[in-house]
Amino acid sequence: MVSTVLNTDVKQKDADHAVVIAVTSRAVFGSGADDDEVYGEGLAFPLLQALQRVNEHLLMNNPAELLLFDIVLLTTDSQQQQQSPRIISSTRHYGLEVGRFCFSSEEDFVENLLKNNVQLFLSTDRNEASQATQRGVLSALLDHQTASCPSEQLKVLFFGDAVIQPDTGPTPPSRQAARSFSAQLGEMQRRFTMSDSPLSIGLVTWRGGRDSCADALHTLRSRGVRVDEAYCLAEAPWGPILSVFRPHFLLSDGFGGLEG
Amino acid sequence: MTKGCIQSHDGPCSSSSLYHSLSCLSLFLQPKPENAVTIAVSSRVLFRTEREQKVFEQKGVEEYLRYQIEHENEPFAPGPAFPFVKALETVNARLRDLYPQSEELFDIVLVTYNHAHVGIRLINTINHHNLFIERFCMTGGSSPIGYLKAWQTNLYLSADADKVREALAEGIAAATMFMSEKITEVSEYQLRVAFDGDAVLFSDESERIFKAHGLDKFFEHERENEDTLLDHGPLKGFLEVLGKLQKKFYAKGQRLDCPIRTYLVTARSAASSGIRALKTLRAWGLEIDEALFLAGAPKGPMLEKIRPHIFFDDQMFHVEGAAEMGTIAAHVPYGIAQNHNPKQNASVGK
Repeated sequence: MVSTVLNTDVKQKDADHAVVIAVTSRAVFGSGADDDEVYGEGLAFPLLQALQRVNEHLLMNNPAELLLFDIVLLTTDSQQQQQSPRIISSTRHYGLEVGRFCFSSEEDFVENLLKNNVQLFLSTDRNEASQATQRGVLSALLDHQTASCPSEQLKVLFFGDAVIQPDTGPTPPSRQAARSFSAQLGEMQRRFTMSDSPLSIGLVTWRGGRDSCADALHTLRSRGVRVDEAYCLAEAPWGPILSVFRPHFLLSDGFGGLEG
Repeated sequence: MTKGCIQSHDGPCSSSSLYHSLSCLSLFLQPKPENAVTIAVSSRVLFRTEREQKVFEQKGVEEYLRYQIEHENEPFAPGPAFPFVKALETVNARLRDLYPQSEELFDIVLVTYNHAHVGIRLINTINHHNLFIERFCMTGGSSPIGYLKAWQTNLYLSADADKVREALAEGIAAATMFMSEKITEVSEYQLRVAFDGDAVLFSDESERIFKAHGLDKFFEHERENEDTLLDHGPLKGFLEVLGKLQKKFYAKGQRLDCPIRTYLVTARSAASSGIRALKTLRAWGLEIDEALFLAGAPKGPMLEKIRPHIFFDDQMFHVEGAAEMGTIAAHVPYGIAQNHNPKQNASVGK
């Protein structure tokens, strides 16, 4: 069964212009003890706060701004579903800017994503992310190296190898989703100057050398994305670079998460 | 340089995996950072970017980036670190001839806190000059130090003294380079690296004595401690890795025409204070090809004869003096000499 609950604490976003991001409640809230009223902060908590800060800055620049992040808290775990009141009360407790809560089972959560026009799905579960990608929803996998970076800016890292992959046959829907999401990020960036942007966009390429990176930079530029930081690894190890850059999430252009 | 295909460790190039197909098409495979000698250079020392710097200083970052994008297809001219990088590539070519499977090579990485907007212009420039740089970090303003450490950098060259000091504080060999109007020609076949002794290869302990108590006390101290090793300085590790690569040439009978040559250019004197320096190097197992003890004489003329691709000194007085005569000199902002005005305080015999 699928149910959607609006968060009346939060002003609803304009459906035609907002960028809908769904995050699983499992990622946002840590486990709390049974007697506790409120969940603890989970690994995606800083990520959510960073998304909110972007909205705040957008509204500061233009109080009538419609291009905002619309955050949906998705619960796919049937066990957690029974905790739905606690999920809602925890959200309110922390003042999280969640527009609505969606509760569904593991079988029909993707339907829920599609119905809610979700443009980016964030989960700590590889299977969930993969299922969503296959149905054309841009997804990113959250883990301890990402998500939980307590930075002032929202840090997004594009995985360039996927960005420049040639399309074999018709463009997969997840790729379309990636293109339109990146275009919207680019649109948000243009609302700010370099020195006051709440968004920081990075690019990392692993395969190939400098020319692959140049291709990825050109591709992102053609989508209207302004890349702030670029890392061309030429097969050097990822880990150290990620631990310094500390993105909140990685976008691999609809080709699933990082392999290796 | 020709593009080529090398055998991967797993066997001949085959189309059975994407990895092998890519390695056949690509340039020489990049060595893993832990196996290579990683040299990180910033964009301002690899290339000449004075005009762009001026735009940045006078008109701010947005205008600077707009300017860079407008001129994206105009390659930058070579900067002070350019001849050094070219010489490193020459050594790599010789190493690949002798040891085709080895990853013990120089890995040149561009590490800049420039914004990624400048990335395309930098890549175009690297292509224009035919440089073998496939790895880079453009940090968009944040400190590059984390990345230097992540890539186990053996030497970092930058135009920014603060960044260099930060790197030194993290135990990474580093030096500041400056654009000089006069540059004499350097060898295309042999990499020549010259080092000052105190506060570069060795610690600044003896310099401290000299600064605090004068020349006589310095000599006395060196004599008394002749058999005590000097402590190591920030560039000792770099000399060490150069030595390891040199040995690879010697092992193949190429001692006489080894494409790496190292020099010690010190104001110490051979008969007295120099002995301690030599003993220390020997105890460290480090060979230096030529040791020049100047006993306080100016370094400029000697360096002009050597024509190193880079000369490391901790005193700006010597760096400027060398540059006036066309030597590519780099400043190592380490030790007691940094507290003194460079032009005033010549080290009159160390």
